[in-house]
Amino acid sequence: MHRARTILTDPLVLAALSILVLLGLGEAVSPGFARGDQIVRLLTVSAILGIVAAGQSLVVIGGREGIDLSVGALISLGALLAGNVMSGQDGNILPAILVAGGVTFAIGIVSGLGVTVLRIPPLVMTLGMAGVVQGALIAMSRGTPSGNAAPTLMAFVNRPLVFGLPGILFVWALIALAMWFLLRRTTLGYAIYAMGSNERAAEFTGLPTRRLRTLLYGLSGMFAGIAGVCVIGYTGNSFISVGDQYVLPSIIAVVIGGISLAGGTGNYFGVVLGAIALTILQSVLTTLQLEFWGRQLIFGAVLLALMLLYGRTRQLRV
Amino acid sequence: MTQTPSAEPSPARALHAQGVTKRFGAITALSSGRISVGKGEIHALLGANGCGKSTLCKIIAGTVSRDGGTLEIDGRPADLKSPREAEALGVALFYQELSLVPQLSVADNIFLGHEPRNAAGFVDRRRLIADTEVLIARFSAVAGSGFAAGTNVSRLSPDQRQIVEILKVLARNPSIIIFDEATAALDKRQVDLFFSILRTLKAEGVAIIFISHRMDEVFEIADRITVMRNGETVAEYGAGEVDRDTVVHDMVGKLADHQREARPPRPAGETPRLVVSSVSGGRLRDVSFSVAPGEILGLGGLQGQGQSAILQGLFGAEPFARGEVSVDGRPVRLRRPADAIRAGLAYVSGDRGRDAALHGRSIFENIAAATLVSERRRFVWPSALKPRFEKAAAGLNTKYAGMEAPIGSLSGGNQQKIFIARWLATDASILLLDDPTKGIDLGAKGDFFELARDLAAKGTSIVFYASEDAELLGLCDRILVFNSGAVTAELSGDTRDAFHLTRAAYGETA
Amino acid sequence: MSALRDSLRGRVWLVTLAALVTLFLVNLALQPNLLTPNVLKSNLTVFLPLVLVAIGQTYVILGGDIDLSVGSIVALVNVVTVSVIAMTGGETGGILLGIAAGILTGLACGLFNGVLIAILRFQPIVTTFATGIIFGGLALRVLPTAGLPVPAGYWRTYAGNVLGIPTVLWIFVFALLAIAFIARRPFLTHLMATGGLRTAAFQTGLRVGPIRIGAYMLSGLFSAFAALCLTGETASGDPLMGRLLALSSISAVVLGGTALAGGRGSAFGSLLGALVIGMISNVIFFAAIPFEYQTLTTGLITLLALAGGVLVSRR
Repeated sequence: MHRARTILTDPLVLAALSILVLLGLGEAVSPGFARGDQIVRLLTVSAILGIVAAGQSLVVIGGREGIDLSVGALISLGALLAGNVMSGQDGNILPAILVAGGVTFAIGIVSGLGVTVLRIPPLVMTLGMAGVVQGALIAMSRGTPSGNAAPTLMAFVNRPLVFGLPGILFVWALIALAMWFLLRRTTLGYAIYAMGSNERAAEFTGLPTRRLRTLLYGLSGMFAGIAGVCVIGYTGNSFISVGDQYVLPSIIAVVIGGISLAGGTGNYFGVVLGAIALTILQSVLTTLQLEFWGRQLIFGAVLLALMLLYGRTRQLRV
Repeated sequence: MTQTPSAEPSPARALHAQGVTKRFGAITALSSGRISVGKGEIHALLGANGCGKSTLCKIIAGTVSRDGGTLEIDGRPADLKSPREAEALGVALFYQELSLVPQLSVADNIFLGHEPRNAAGFVDRRRLIADTEVLIARFSAVAGSGFAAGTNVSRLSPDQRQIVEILKVLARNPSIIIFDEATAALDKRQVDLFFSILRTLKAEGVAIIFISHRMDEVFEIADRITVMRNGETVAEYGAGEVDRDTVVHDMVGKLADHQREARPPRPAGETPRLVVSSVSGGRLRDVSFSVAPGEILGLGGLQGQGQSAILQGLFGAEPFARGEVSVDGRPVRLRRPADAIRAGLAYVSGDRGRDAALHGRSIFENIAAATLVSERRRFVWPSALKPRFEKAAAGLNTKYAGMEAPIGSLSGGNQQKIFIARWLATDASILLLDDPTKGIDLGAKGDFFELARDLAAKGTSIVFYASEDAELLGLCDRILVFNSGAVTAELSGDTRDAFHLTRAAYGETA
Repeated sequence: MSALRDSLRGRVWLVTLAALVTLFLVNLALQPNLLTPNVLKSNLTVFLPLVLVAIGQTYVILGGDIDLSVGSIVALVNVVTVSVIAMTGGETGGILLGIAAGILTGLACGLFNGVLIAILRFQPIVTTFATGIIFGGLALRVLPTAGLPVPAGYWRTYAGNVLGIPTVLWIFVFALLAIAFIARRPFLTHLMATGGLRTAAFQTGLRVGPIRIGAYMLSGLFSAFAALCLTGETASGDPLMGRLLALSSISAVVLGGTALAGGRGSAFGSLLGALVIGMISNVIFFAAIPFEYQTLTTGLITLLALAGGVLVSRR
């Protein structure tokens, strides 16, 4: 009985169960919802969210109220840069990825320095950075969208590659493996958990926590930039606020995945399931023809409920 | 104005506590606490570390509830459930720390929660300032420049903060005051003024319990003295009818014969492993010492006299303001823990939850952190590291389910063993132990002492602070006794016993 | 240099005031008719909502917390007010009822935030982020799209004069009086103690929970006032109103010398900080910076101000 309860409250099990329940619900409301090609489509959408959430996971696990609200603007920036570098040419795909990932990495480092050196709370710093990037986007695009995806990239994201699955899903699987390796097989990964769990104790083992934390924001920016490349591959072109819709879901996916907002716990596989569950939830809500306000309300309530489960601060001990 | 203390407590006394008991889990903090203070009496409470005097004071101030015994305030039985109730009965406890808000002014701090208000409910700032100035005037001769009612507490020096803490207590107009180490940060002139305030309060009929780590002060100000040992009140005297050595003997009890294996003396003329010269900063005043390879150096004295400050300074957690440190003859700069670790130092803290535990992480991760840093590894192959860690943990008799079990699944003693294993895996040459046995069981303590002796025998230098004197006497080759941030005595050979340790802890130089 | 820093400690708002005067002079050079009563009044009308929200935000930050839901509270109060006025028919009684409903909404939102954070011990940042989403969703529920004009009586009063003095100036003076009123209550000292060193406040016997809830309710209240002003300015309901107010109010608070860590600062400083932000956008507008660079400039200045403010107000 006790064992059953601990299994049922395990975030991974909860996320997996909610995926099944949501699929069943969707199928009941609209037959065909859980058909094979539909599921592949849902997974493709999940992949973009999952890539953004990878960076968000690192920042949140690193602790000290870590959060990155600039991912939305950085996705838009990544998409805009990639679109302009590619301008529809297959040969420019690799440079486009490098430019998008590199620029967003650099911007993330700047946010990280604000957090570690100036000690601005992460939420405020990344929100401020989002404003700057938004402004840069307007200045760069002069209000009109520009750039477009290379055909191969679009095919890679949208068309089946092997076993009826598009290439982006294999990229996502590779990223998941890389995240596992980073977190479980490198000193950096161990350091991320250590400083998220107890920053003072981490410093007492000699870890350079400031430098590492700065790096985390850089990585988060880079993942957002790469997600931006995927976005333009998915839609063919971009507009300057294309990334905004990912900010909130990236945080919720992280929390559904079992990563405490207090830091120091969780892993990326949970986040993968969280991103899938959230995408299906969005799809179900759309199928139910729930209006925008209803979806917002459900998102907010889900976030609060998850905070109640995982995210409460420790009691004042005197 | 002279008060003749009566030998026997009478019901009309300001405070009378008898047979007070208190247990924290398996540990008995108080087995039979008794203190009786008359109105207009200054009553010193003495005892070695862990004798239960702080617990008794907290029970009187309502911050800790008692398990048994009686407590009477003003002749009426008092059943205190919170500090607020104690305050309503006129009891005030002087806090050594944590009670002042640095961002607020002196006046705001002193009257926090008790601001004078006008009819409309606004803060009467004029009265607030005036009342504060009256209070400050009592200390004005020494308060120095920059200390006025409107000064921010963050700008005050430690002694000035302590004066504000005292004034905060006085502002409540209490009838019973407990001053727990209220003079710790004050210099001689400030202590003199504080004592003249105490005498005024005494003349006003206030009952005062006075705890100090300076024997001189106790004999200068106290009317009566209560001595505690091992959770029990063992003696009560009028201050004039007892001498200092008798009091020290009461604190120590029957001189215990500390069994200690004779260890071969270190060869003379050996280069010291660690040399600390004239370090100051924070609480520390000009501390120097050296430690030989394989030597166990003890830091003794009452709690909070600078022992932890030395260890944290050496580890770079609270860097020294002045002074020099060298390891194996080479000067080292210790600005952060990473510097200290590179120099071969390791630090085991008594406050595991704050300084050591990676909460919610596995035992493996809790051990690995230090090894990964000191060996500059980039990748982690658990299968390669596990056998090493298991060996380190097994050497300490650590009981655990497996390397993947969370750290929180272990008892306090086993957790501490893991944090020691963390450093054993890095082969540190100097082990700094900051009251490491705090809150761990006897069995674990035994394992721990055995390990310390083994390590010393293999050449590791150990600097060991313990709040329990018996641990110091049982383990150390040499003991430095701290009082007010300075070393007052070095005990070795014949003087390395409980009597001399307690005497020196109270600031009595040999 | 250190002597200068020392004498400025606790009076960071003097720096803000200097910045404000400088910006005002620059603005005057760029816009010579700035000093005419009408231009001054229209400027004040534009600045007022941020001034009010920033004042409320100050109290939360002084208590060591933060409120990211202010923008959504503004939107919710706005749509509640216009809907109640529309339901009751737009007479004077209806308008007053709408205003009362709006103020109650703001207080309720603050209470909700405060209880979650101070009693249930939720993290302030993410909690107000989440409640902001909820309040924003509710605003969309009350009024799905912008519209629903308020009666002329409402916006004419707001844009007009009362006793010969512009209504917006009355409101500004009222805000100053409110700051002065709160500054003289024991509550503010207790709040700053709570934000300064929570353990000390607790040990001194202060009721830390209710104090923090009080700060969130003040934030809700001032957000409601800001919403009522915005309603007077736009003369209609808009569920997406006030999107950027969370960040700009925090920027104003930091610019005004209040430490984000809590315990140090003043609402008056935040008022000046909000005016500085308003002036900056004025200057950017009149400095003929191309339209497409205006958002970038504003964003950069906001970020620099945040960084600078954090550095100056640090111990």
